[in-house]
Amino acid sequence: MLRDGNEGMSTIPGSSQIQFEGFCKFIDQGLAEELHKFPKMEDTDQEMEFQLFVETYQLVEPLIKERDAVYESLTYSSELYVSAGLIWRAGRDMRKQTVFIGNIPLMNSLGTSLVNGIYRIVVNQILQSPGIYYRSELDHNGISVYTGTIISDWGGRSELEIDRKARIWARVSRKQKISILVPSSAMGSNLRDILDNVCYPEIFLSFPNDKEKKKIGSKENAVLEFYQQFACVGGDPVFSESLCKELQKKFFQQRCELGRIGRRNMNQRLNLDIPQNSTFLLPRDVLAAADHLIGMKFGMGTLDDLNHLKNKRIRSVADLLQDQFGLALVRLENVVRGTICGAIRHKLIPTPHNLVTSTPLTTTYESFFGLHPLSQVLDRTNPLTQIVHGRKWSYLGPGGLTGRTASFRIRDIHPSHYGRICPIDTSEGINVGLIGSLAIHARIGDWGSIESPFYEISERLKEEQMVYLSPRRDEYYMVAAGNSLALNRGIQEEQVVPARYRQEFLTIAWEQIHLRSIYPFQYFSIGASLIPFIEHNDANRALMSSNMQRQAVPLSHSEKCIVGTGLERQAALDSGGSAIAEHEGKITYTDTEKIVLSGNGDTISIPLVMYQRSNKNTCMHQKPQVHRGKCVKKGQILADGAAIIGGELALGKNILVAYMPWEGYNSEDAVLISERLVYGDIYTSFHIRKYEIQTHVTSQGPERITNEIPHLEAHLLRNLDKNGIVMLGSWVETGDILVGKLTPQTAKESSYAPEDRLLRAILGIQVSTAKETCLKLPIGGRGRVIDVRWIQKKRGSSSNPETIRVYISQKREIKVGDKVAGRHGNKGIISKILPRQDMPYLQDGTPVDMVFNPLGIPSRMNVGQMFECSIGLAGNLLNRHYRIIPFDERYEQEASRKLVFPELYKASKQTANPWVFEPEYPGKSRIFDGRTGDPFEQPVIIGKSYMMKLIHQVDDKIHGRSSGHYALVTQQPLRGRAKHGGQRVGEMEVWALEGFGVAHISQEMLTYKSDHIRARQEVLGTTIIGGTIPNPDGAPESFRLLVRELRSLALELNHFLVSEKSFQINRKEA
Amino acid sequence: MVREEIAVSTRTLQWKCVESRADSKRLYYGRFVLSPLMKGQADTIGIAMRRALLGEIEGTCITRAKSEKVPHEYSTIVGIEESVHEILMNLKEIVFRSHLYGTRGASICVRGPRYVTAQDIISPPSVKIVDTTQYIASLTEPIDLCIELQIERDRGYRIKTPNNYQDGSYPIDAVSMPVRNANHSIHSYGNGNEKQEILFLEIWTNGSFTPKEALYEASRNLIDLFLPFLHAEEQDINVEDNQNRATAPLFTFHDGLTNIGKRKKGIALKRVFIDQSELPTRTYNCLKRSNIHTLLDLLSNSQEDLMRIEHFRIEDVKQILGILQKRFAID
Repeated sequence: MLRDGNEGMSTIPGSSQIQFEGFCKFIDQGLAEELHKFPKMEDTDQEMEFQLFVETYQLVEPLIKERDAVYESLTYSSELYVSAGLIWRAGRDMRKQTVFIGNIPLMNSLGTSLVNGIYRIVVNQILQSPGIYYRSELDHNGISVYTGTIISDWGGRSELEIDRKARIWARVSRKQKISILVPSSAMGSNLRDILDNVCYPEIFLSFPNDKEKKKIGSKENAVLEFYQQFACVGGDPVFSESLCKELQKKFFQQRCELGRIGRRNMNQRLNLDIPQNSTFLLPRDVLAAADHLIGMKFGMGTLDDLNHLKNKRIRSVADLLQDQFGLALVRLENVVRGTICGAIRHKLIPTPHNLVTSTPLTTTYESFFGLHPLSQVLDRTNPLTQIVHGRKWSYLGPGGLTGRTASFRIRDIHPSHYGRICPIDTSEGINVGLIGSLAIHARIGDWGSIESPFYEISERLKEEQMVYLSPRRDEYYMVAAGNSLALNRGIQEEQVVPARYRQEFLTIAWEQIHLRSIYPFQYFSIGASLIPFIEHNDANRALMSSNMQRQAVPLSHSEKCIVGTGLERQAALDSGGSAIAEHEGKITYTDTEKIVLSGNGDTISIPLVMYQRSNKNTCMHQKPQVHRGKCVKKGQILADGAAIIGGELALGKNILVAYMPWEGYNSEDAVLISERLVYGDIYTSFHIRKYEIQTHVTSQGPERITNEIPHLEAHLLRNLDKNGIVMLGSWVETGDILVGKLTPQTAKESSYAPEDRLLRAILGIQVSTAKETCLKLPIGGRGRVIDVRWIQKKRGSSSNPETIRVYISQKREIKVGDKVAGRHGNKGIISKILPRQDMPYLQDGTPVDMVFNPLGIPSRMNVGQMFECSIGLAGNLLNRHYRIIPFDERYEQEASRKLVFPELYKASKQTANPWVFEPEYPGKSRIFDGRTGDPFEQPVIIGKSYMMKLIHQVDDKIHGRSSGHYALVTQQPLRGRAKHGGQRVGEMEVWALEGFGVAHISQEMLTYKSDHIRARQEVLGTTIIGGTIPNPDGAPESFRLLVRELRSLALELNHFLVSEKSFQINRKEA
Repeated sequence: MVREEIAVSTRTLQWKCVESRADSKRLYYGRFVLSPLMKGQADTIGIAMRRALLGEIEGTCITRAKSEKVPHEYSTIVGIEESVHEILMNLKEIVFRSHLYGTRGASICVRGPRYVTAQDIISPPSVKIVDTTQYIASLTEPIDLCIELQIERDRGYRIKTPNNYQDGSYPIDAVSMPVRNANHSIHSYGNGNEKQEILFLEIWTNGSFTPKEALYEASRNLIDLFLPFLHAEEQDINVEDNQNRATAPLFTFHDGLTNIGKRKKGIALKRVFIDQSELPTRTYNCLKRSNIHTLLDLLSNSQEDLMRIEHFRIEDVKQILGILQKRFAID
């Protein structure tokens, strides 16, 4: 029975499916489409003809494996070959050769491309769909003005506007508006045509006066007038071809190319039947648009909502790659044309081989993946991060919006987002609402629309079927919203159900329902749907949670969550973090490095990931889960990856928590933890850092890598081997040398500081002919050297730049200052680590592991953590794991509470621990202070929560500066830890100093420690001699900079000394 | 004092093991009763015992491991299913039972293919392995696995930074906490002023100690901690007596000086240099040498301190007193 039902059941689509389908579409269709655009080329004398035989294009399987490409920092790409022919007109003979066009980086099944050893992902961009949109705005007089905005495929906008007097204007730039007749005449239609083709010719006719009539009398005049208005040039330009071309380039190409989608939208909106292949704006379009605008003015037709998803389109990987491919072919075309001309001039006989080069395509893709804002480095903090990254969408990027200028409305959620774009998951800060996540079931349709699946309910069909609907269509249906589980979909539940219809929420009788949603999580992204009891959380906190889960660090021993939503398995599977059996068979060998699986007559060796670095410095490691001799089925998990346990996503640990204040150590979101989390390796994670150095060839000669560095003491060099590179397995501390390198330098006595020269003279040190430019381990970088790679790139014969990479692994226990978070947006910083006997303890003596502040809940409204914590305790005692579908409150009132309390009661009964469930204060328990043994005044909520350690760790952030570099212009200390910068004493810090009246500290902050160069140098001298530091005189450097900037604006700011006796003015230089 | 209390109560204070079981080789449970106690005593003992059990008991564990031909912790050995780090983690978990002092060596030397468990640890006779089935690694190939171990007895936990030990040994962040959990509860009975209490102590151990031993160990540690108080009392009395006897004459000197200070409030003693007091040159030089420049410095030194100065005699002190009395008009 159930099995039959399962066949029609929908499964959650793979999370990288959108990316992968996009890439396949590009390979299948986009490539051929662009290649077909490649023209036949002739030389100037028309003697020969060059053409590509597009049908025969082929992509070659890459020679190297993906793993090797990662190791050697190469691009995992496939070579594209096309046959090309060169035909001589005279001899009628043809030379046909298969030419190498270039490399196309391939996408792996996780939706990422490997470029130069770095995994990159192309984010889907959401753009305004090309077409025409009608809006009404109030002008400054309060009269509504109707406008029709034509958006081109490139994002260019031009507007049609009808004003109070029913005059129609075309707005081509922000300031200039011209009569609609001018551009349409310029586009080639004369007045008669215009009047014949419009519905309201009298409006068009009433409009122009005689002067204007003359302007549009001929096409030339119209073009001239249009150019004048558009380019805002005065005078009397004369009509010429170049002017026409410029207009063509600047206006028509940018503003009027609609593309296929735009043509389709235009036809739909204006009821036109212009063929699909005319992708430019036609005069007919303009006239029809003007007609519509007049209709609007008279109250006919509907206005458009620009933020509706039907008016948006997705520019996916397929489109972006195809655009780039087209660009590359244009470049190739130019190259070929140039080469043909050159060859003819030099009387050479070209072959297709020497005409076609691979550089245009290869470099285009290299620069696309490297520089395009939508091509991003795949974030691999944990498995969840990877899959969420591939499902991102962005309004930003070329042709899109910018974070600073985007309006509030566009960032908001819209009813059409239901089931397509997650209303929760978006970034915080300046890009809020501009970068988001696609909903779980969403897919990208043919026309760049986001589609969402529904079950169709109809009388005729006994069996329900699933349909994918674009945002344009589902508004016309009554959609029962999230009312039932996917399992019993055929069963009518209630007579009246809540439903969505035309952006409204209604309650509709079951018989009238057309569609129903398929899954309660359908509306959410993966990140948001991993939050249990999400319905009890405020959306803002759910947002934070979905962002913070992506920042969780994989722990050395992860743990499955007790309370989850059931999506953990899917997320772990899609991330590709675990090794999966490709076919059924028997395990013949297991090891930390590989698993050998034999079956179906062949034996495959599955290599495992071993302590590998991710680009966020977290550690990726696969642990085999099968033993030798076991038989496995296809799809069975062979090895768990980082943060994956038993095939489920495991980002944190189940921790015994209590919500109570403790001596103020958990005020303001601070968290108090037990020592057990430290010594028990509960929150211990590995971090692998990469340090890199390159050798160059200088004018004095090449740099050398050696272990003989006279500048440094032997202690720092103790880890180097005889080549001068750190030995594998050595423990290194801050300041140790990882790679010894000497840069040759001409020995110049004067280049040393005077005291340096003196010391040299005294100690008799020979002046070295080289400068040490060693790779030193920076601050906070202690650890074990786990890998050293020496990469030699063969590029030319003279210079062989070598790159040496050292990988250092660090084991980090949790410590004060680390950030921890739950799955409900409850985050905090560790403030104190208490011994276990000091922690509050439960009635059975178990010390609590973490203590949170209860005041962190009411104002944040993330009550889900309470439910999780209570049911987690029950699950821990009963040894059960709960997977809870959200929105169970729709079944009955207080459903979540009714779910949690019986479980607690059961746990209390089964384990004979009456304190687990006490009816007077369910969920709470009386607990004791570990220091005194006294019970706390009030019963306290205790339970097991799933807590994660986030990547924001003190080790990466802690920083102090005693001396260091200064910025060149302002002479103030540099900023940032990476540059060993100083902490800024800003406005508010200065107020604090002023508040205490500490004038000397304040002065010190502004002078010696900052940008007063003279005072700074004097401090050094006086501290060596041991005198009192003189007061700084004169202005600090940044003030002098200000004065000079004012001077560049011709404003003099200075001070003068006037002598009392002679009244002589003495000018001082500020 | 304790004896007196017991004499008052009807029954002598005694403890009893109510329940004891071994859930596994590494999980022992025991419940103890201490009764009868006067009101409030149960709490005093209970919390002290709980804290001592959790924090004061020493345990034995592996603190260092060394093996040949292992480049680093994150490497693998061909033929072993675990990485080196995982083996170290497994070694960390192994529970010993011992009474050793200082560090001892142990070793594992096995040849695969087989599973390596705690049974394979060759330990010194004073150290016993609690759970011989504890898993360490599994060898899948016929290779030799030799690990040298260092066993240490310690309290609490210690996280070591693996400073560069060139011998290729790896420290293990040992956790020597034999008591897994401890709890106390108080049951009071009787009525009115005659209220009496029973203390229940629950102890879970990791097998390194039985709960009874842990209880014994904890109470001994507690007693050790209290012992200084018993000794200290006598010593303190002695010290006081000595002081009274020895410092008797000094007090007068000091009093005299403080009197001067009080009377001459107007004079800032700090400003009065001893040069002004017309001391004999020898005394003056002595004082100067020992950094006494002003009258305040002089006053802040006791007679004893002055006597300690080189070449200083008791006559000099009397002289100073005399001069001071004369010059500053003191009786």
